[in-house]
Amino acid sequence: MNRRNFIKQTSCAAMGSTTLLSTLANLTSLNGALGAGVVKSALPTDYKAMVCILLSGGVDSYNMLVPTGTTTGGDNGYNEYKGVRTDLAIPNVGATGGLLSLNNPQCTSFRGIPCSYNSFGVHPSMTGVRSLFNTGKLAFMGNIGTLVEPVANYTQYQSGLKKLPLGMFSHSDQSMQWQTSVPQSRDAVGFGGRIADLLNAANSHQEVSMNISLAGKNIFQRGQNISEYAISNNVNANNVGFDSLPTWWGNSGLLTQTRNNTIDNLVSKTYANLLQKTYSTTTKNSMASFGVFKDALQKVPTLTTSFADNQLSNDLAAITKIMSVRNFLGAKRQIFFIDYGGWDMHSDLISGLNNKLSVVSQALKSFYDATVELGISDKVTTFTISDFARTITSNGGGADHAWGGNTMVMGGAVNGGKIFGAYPKMDVLSSSNQQNISFRGNFIPSIATDEFYGELALWYGVSPYDLCYVLPNLHNFYSYGVNQYPVGFMNFNGNAISTENFPQDCLTY
Amino acid sequence: MKLKLTVFFILFIKISSQICGQQTVTFGLGNVKNISVSSSSNTTTGLKTLLSSGYLPNYNGASRFLSHATLGAKFSEIQNVASIGKEKWIDAQLNLPNSFSMELYLKSLHQIMVDSMLRATPSGGYTLDNTNVQNWHFDASWFQGSMTAPDMLRWRVALALSEIVVISRISGLDGQPYGMASYYDILLSNAFGNYRTILDKITYHPAMGSYLTFLNNHATNTTKQIYPDENYAREIMQLFSIGLYKLNLDGTEMKDANNKSIPTYVNSDIAALAKVFTGLGWGDRPYLGHYQKDKWSYTKRMKFFPLDSLEYYQGWWQPKIYNGHEPGSKTFLGSTIPNRPVVQGEQDIQDALNIIFNHPNVGPFMARRLIQRLVASNPSPAYIQRVATVFNDNGSGVRGDLKAVVRAILLDQEACDCNADKNSDYAGMLREPFVRYMNLMRGLKTTTQGGIYRNTMNNLYDRIEQIPLYSPTVFNFFQPDYIPDGDLKTAAKYAPEFQLLNSQTLTGYVNALNNWLINDDPVEFWSLFNNETYKPDQDSKFDLSADSSLATNEKIPQLLDKYNLILAHGAVSKENIEIIRQAIISMPYTFDYYGQPNSQDIFRRVRMAIFLIMASPDYLINR
Repeated sequence: MNRRNFIKQTSCAAMGSTTLLSTLANLTSLNGALGAGVVKSALPTDYKAMVCILLSGGVDSYNMLVPTGTTTGGDNGYNEYKGVRTDLAIPNVGATGGLLSLNNPQCTSFRGIPCSYNSFGVHPSMTGVRSLFNTGKLAFMGNIGTLVEPVANYTQYQSGLKKLPLGMFSHSDQSMQWQTSVPQSRDAVGFGGRIADLLNAANSHQEVSMNISLAGKNIFQRGQNISEYAISNNVNANNVGFDSLPTWWGNSGLLTQTRNNTIDNLVSKTYANLLQKTYSTTTKNSMASFGVFKDALQKVPTLTTSFADNQLSNDLAAITKIMSVRNFLGAKRQIFFIDYGGWDMHSDLISGLNNKLSVVSQALKSFYDATVELGISDKVTTFTISDFARTITSNGGGADHAWGGNTMVMGGAVNGGKIFGAYPKMDVLSSSNQQNISFRGNFIPSIATDEFYGELALWYGVSPYDLCYVLPNLHNFYSYGVNQYPVGFMNFNGNAISTENFPQDCLTY
Repeated sequence: MKLKLTVFFILFIKISSQICGQQTVTFGLGNVKNISVSSSSNTTTGLKTLLSSGYLPNYNGASRFLSHATLGAKFSEIQNVASIGKEKWIDAQLNLPNSFSMELYLKSLHQIMVDSMLRATPSGGYTLDNTNVQNWHFDASWFQGSMTAPDMLRWRVALALSEIVVISRISGLDGQPYGMASYYDILLSNAFGNYRTILDKITYHPAMGSYLTFLNNHATNTTKQIYPDENYAREIMQLFSIGLYKLNLDGTEMKDANNKSIPTYVNSDIAALAKVFTGLGWGDRPYLGHYQKDKWSYTKRMKFFPLDSLEYYQGWWQPKIYNGHEPGSKTFLGSTIPNRPVVQGEQDIQDALNIIFNHPNVGPFMARRLIQRLVASNPSPAYIQRVATVFNDNGSGVRGDLKAVVRAILLDQEACDCNADKNSDYAGMLREPFVRYMNLMRGLKTTTQGGIYRNTMNNLYDRIEQIPLYSPTVFNFFQPDYIPDGDLKTAAKYAPEFQLLNSQTLTGYVNALNNWLINDDPVEFWSLFNNETYKPDQDSKFDLSADSSLATNEKIPQLLDKYNLILAHGAVSKENIEIIRQAIISMPYTFDYYGQPNSQDIFRRVRMAIFLIMASPDYLINR
C-alpha cells in the first residue's frame, strides 16, 4: 500500500477521535518507513491562518473602490464613473460625503490588461480600510472574478471558444464558484477544504477541524476528507456541547451522563441508510470535538482590542479568541469562514452601502489590531469574497448582478497599499470597451479567483507540487517558478515556499 | 393507554396472469411489510389494486403517511387514517376549505393590543393604524393556525410552498408582519389551487415586490441611464418555475451533443423579462415610485402604472412624465410578447407568466421540489415523472392543479412504501428542524383552554435556525441539490436539509429538546401589551398524565412503542429502542408512602423517553 492509497483509505474510515489519533500515529511511522524520498519535510510547525469573509449577495464593489481622477483627456476616471453610475455615484473626494482618497495606489496592469486609472478612493464610510491601505496592510484586487481560463476581451467572450463559468449572474452558482474556484463544475469542493485535506494533519487535535466556520455549512471549507467545525460567535466554554440537565432534576450529573451516553450509543451504531449514517457521523464528530474545544476556550485571555457590536465584528472577535488559544487547540494552521450577507442591493443601494461598508471597514480595522495584540499580524491573512459585482448602470436606486469586481486582502504579510489586477474602464456605454459585456455594465474579470487563491495557498504552505489539487484550473493562468508568484500581493520575504509534496491526484473537472 | 398494533390485513395474493406476463413487486405500502406478491393484469391496475385502493394501513403505515401529509399528528389522527384509509382521509382534507386567515388573526391580536392600551389609557388615541405590530405577531398567528386548523394537509403544503416561493423577514420585510401574513394567506388559500394562480398572486404581492425589489420598477430611462431591475425576472425563473437547466419529464437534465446540461435561459432573457415586470407600485398609492407606505400597503395587490409621473407629483422643476411600463416587444425563453401600448402592459405580465408557466420544465421542477419537501430527498426519476405528468395534466386537461399534484405525491407507491430501505440505501429525508418541533407540538397532548396557543417562536429560531419566512435568502434554508460530505457524496445523492446541519445547529437542536421536554418549556408566551395578565392557559405545556402508568420498568416498552408510533411511525429499530429502554430504566424511580410511584420520577422518565426518540437517527431520518 503506498502512502496515497493509505490516505484515501483512512479518510474513508470512521472519523471517531481514536481512529484519527491512531491514524496519525500510523502515518508517522509510515513516513519513517517510506523514507525521505517521498515525504520531503515535516508538516508546518509555525502558525498561519486565513480568514475568508464572504459578503454574500454580491457587493457593489465599484462603489467600494472608485476612480477619482478628473483630468479631461487623461485620468478622467471619476467623470467616467459618474457618467454611467448616475444616481448611484458617490461624490468625489473633497465633496460632502465624498470618496476617501488612497495614497499612490499603484494600479498597473495584469496579464497584459492595463489598469485604466491612477487615482482611486474608497467609499466614504471606509476610514478603517483607508488607513490600513495607506499603512500598507491592505491591498485591493481590481476586477477579480470567476474564470475557467483567461478571457481577454468581449470578442473572446462571444466566440464560444472559451470555457465560461456555469450559471453566470446566478447567486447560488457564483457564490459557490467563488468558494470552489472551479466555475465549470457544480460538484467541486472548496478551496479552503482542499487545502485542509493536505494540511489538516499539521494540527495535533484532530477532533477540531482546521476549518472553523462562523457560518455553518459552507462550500469554501469543504474538502474531500475535511469539513468545517461550526461555532457561534458567542465563544464561551459554557456554550460548547449539550446542555446539562437542570439541577432540580436531582442526580443531574448522572442523568446528563446517561443521556449523552445514550445519544452516543444511538449515533455509534452502523446504519445502512446513508442519511442516517451521515447524521450519525456528523453528531459523533461534533461530540468528539466538544471536550477539546471547551477546554481550550477556558484559557482565552483578556484581550484589550475592542470590537463593535454587529455580526461581522462579533464573528471576527470570536476568531480572535480562538486564535488566542491556538496552542491549546494544537493548531498550526487554521482557516476561518464568515458569511456577512445582505449585499444584494437591487434597491436602496446608497444607504445600504453606507450602513454595511462602514461595518466592514471598522471590523477589519479592529481585527487587524487584534492580530497585532496577539503578536500574529503577519501570520493572519484576511480577505473578502462576494458572489459578483453589480451592474455599473442603475436600475433606479439599485443595481443588478454582474461579474468581475473588487475585493480586499489584509494582513501583515500582505504587500499592501496597492491595487492588483486591472481596474476596468468605466465607460461601459462605449462600444470600444472590450472588458464590458453588457449594456448594463458588466466586466469580464481581469484576474481570476485561481490566481488570487494560488498566491494565498503558496503563502499558507501548500507546495507547488500540490497546486493542481488545490486549484485545478490554475495551470490555465500560471505555472510555478522560483520567485514568480501568481499575483504578487503576498510578501514571501524570508519564507521559503514549501516543498512538501502531499501526493494527491491532481483534480480535473 | 394500551397500544394495539393491529394488522388489519395479512394478504398473500397470487393471481395468475392471462394478459401480461407475471410480475413480482414487494407489497408493503403502508399496509403489510415485506410481503412479496405476484400480481396479474397490467402493471397499472395491478399495482393500484395491490398497493393503495381498498386497503387500510396499519397504525405505523398511517403514522408514516401523516408524517408526510401533516406537520405532526396525534394518536387519534393515526387511528382515523387507519380506520378510513389514506384515500378517504386525503380527499376529505383536499375538500376542506381554508379555515384560517393569517391576516385576520394577526389583526385580532393587534386589536386586543389596541383595546387594552385604550382601556389603560383612554385618552391615548390608540388605533390599529398608529400602533405597531412586530414580526412575532406573524409567528404567533402562524403557530395558532398550525395547531388548530382542521385542514392540516393544507398547512403542510403551504409550509412547503413557503420554502419554494420564498420571501423572508431578513429583508425590508423585517417588521412587516401584515405583509408576511397576507403573503402566507396566498399560500394557504391556493395550496390546493392552481400554480398559475400562485404565480400571478405572488407576482402582484407587495411582499414579493419588495423582497425581490421589482415594486416601483421603472421602464428603461436612457436619459438617466436607469434600467429595469432584474431581480425578480431572474429568481422567478431560477427558483419558482423552471430552474437553470432544461429538464426531462422525469426531472433529469437534458444533455447536448457534448453531454453538457442545456441552460434554460441566458442573461439577455433576464434583461428582456425584467422589462415586463415594470410599472408595478403600491396598491394604495397614487403613482409609481411613491415610497411612502404603511402596514396596510403590504397587504394590497400591487397596482399597475403604465406611466411614471413621479416627478410630476413631486413638483420638481420641469417635471417629466416617463414610461412606467417598458414599451416594445419582449423576447425571452424563445417567445415574444408583442409590442403593445404601455397602458396594456398588464397583458405583458400575464403573457410572461403564461410563457413561464407553460415551459416544460415546470412540471418536473415543481414535482421534485414538492416531493423533496414532503416525502424524500431522492425521488426516483419515475416518481418525479408520475407527479410531473399529473402537474402537466390533472386528468381533466388542467395544468398546474396542485390538488391533483399533492394527491399524486402522497399516494404514490414510492411515498407509501413503508419499507423504502429495501430499494435503496438513501431512502427518506432528514426532517427539517422546524418540522421536528411541530411534530412534537402536534403529536403530543398539550394543555390549552379555549384553543388558544400563544407562541412567539423567538428563541426557537435562535436555537434551530428555522421558522417560517425566516430564510437567510431567497434560496431557502437549504437548497434542493445540496449533497453532504461522506457517503452521500460518494453515492451522489441529495440531502437538502443537511445544509442546515453542523456542529452548531446539531447542538442547538439537542439543547432545544432539552428546553422543550426536560425544562418543560415548549412555547414562548409573550405579553401582547404592557401589564397583560399572565394567561397560563395560553402558555402550553405537555400533558403527559395519560402516561403515568407507563413509566414503571415493566411498562417502559409500551411507553416507547407509543411514542415510537406517534413520532416515528415505529421506525426506531428494536436495537435502538433497547438502548433507550436501558437509559430510562436506569433513571431513579421511587414509591411514596402509599406505595404509589413518585410522580416526578414518572414524568422525568416519560420526558427522557420522548427526548431520546427524537434524538435518534431513526426518527430524524424520515423514511
